Amino acid sequence: MSRAFRRHGESIRMQLAGGEVDLLRSMRDGLRAVLSDGAPDDPVIARLFPTAVSDDSEADIELRRLLRDELLSARLAALDDLHALLEQGRASRGGLRVDLDAEQAVLVLGVFNDLRLAIGARVGIEQLEREQLPSDEATTQRLAVMDHFGWLQEQLLAVLDPPSVQLHHDGDGQEEP
Amino acid sequence: MAPLLSAAPTSPVRERDVTTEDRVRPDAPWDVLVWDDPVNLMSYVVFVFRRVFGYPEPVARKLMLEVHHQGRALVASEPREQAEFYVQQLHGYGLHATMQRSS
Repeated sequence: MSRAFRRHGESIRMQLAGGEVDLLRSMRDGLRAVLSDGAPDDPVIARLFPTAVSDDSEADIELRRLLRDELLSARLAALDDLHALLEQGRASRGGLRVDLDAEQAVLVLGVFNDLRLAIGARVGIEQLEREQLPSDEATTQRLAVMDHFGWLQEQLLAVLDPPSVQLHHDGDGQEEP
Repeated sequence: MAPLLSAAPTSPVRERDVTTEDRVRPDAPWDVLVWDDPVNLMSYVVFVFRRVFGYPEPVARKLMLEVHHQGRALVASEPREQAEFYVQQLHGYGLHATMQRSS
């Protein structure tokens, strides 16, 4: 399988398969709807806007209220920027090719992470890990998507910041000939 | 000759020259903690520590492993406003960070 991210001159070239692009668009739309709705008892909202002060619930409520607007608008802006990046991409090899500068690459990395956190919250991953409950098919599928985007994150990190990925000292991050 | 990553114009990380011990300032009243999480990748957590704090890779990796093995790590001690700033940054990257008064 070809790599999804590689150096291309000053840019990082993202090459996604058609199925990955469809999945990404639909997850992006889904997360945007959840964020816009902002239901406080939604596990995704709870995970993306977690406890901020650990020993003082009054201070915690206050700080979370303070941080929430900025964190929310940053997340929504990142989802919109990702949408714009996908729109700018060029059709290539049955998928999509997008050239990213370093800040856009950090944005993609962060959005992938938010999408994975959202899946984890949706399937109740902390509970699953503790109790090792047998997963139904929908959960298994969601976890597979979460892993897949984790694998894409690893590839992106290997190009974006090689020291953070210790096992990739054998040619990853090299310039494309 | 390979250029240093931190010198590359497109580098997403600005490394600072610090050791692990430097992250704790004895006069700073607020501790910033990062808690273990089953979703965030180890390499991603190393990257976020590098990006937010400018830690060199060995410092960032040591802290990540502390989170992984002990369930949490003290990543900074700072005056209140700076601690709040770090918590906001870390939440923005999806890490579960909290602050509390230093004991």
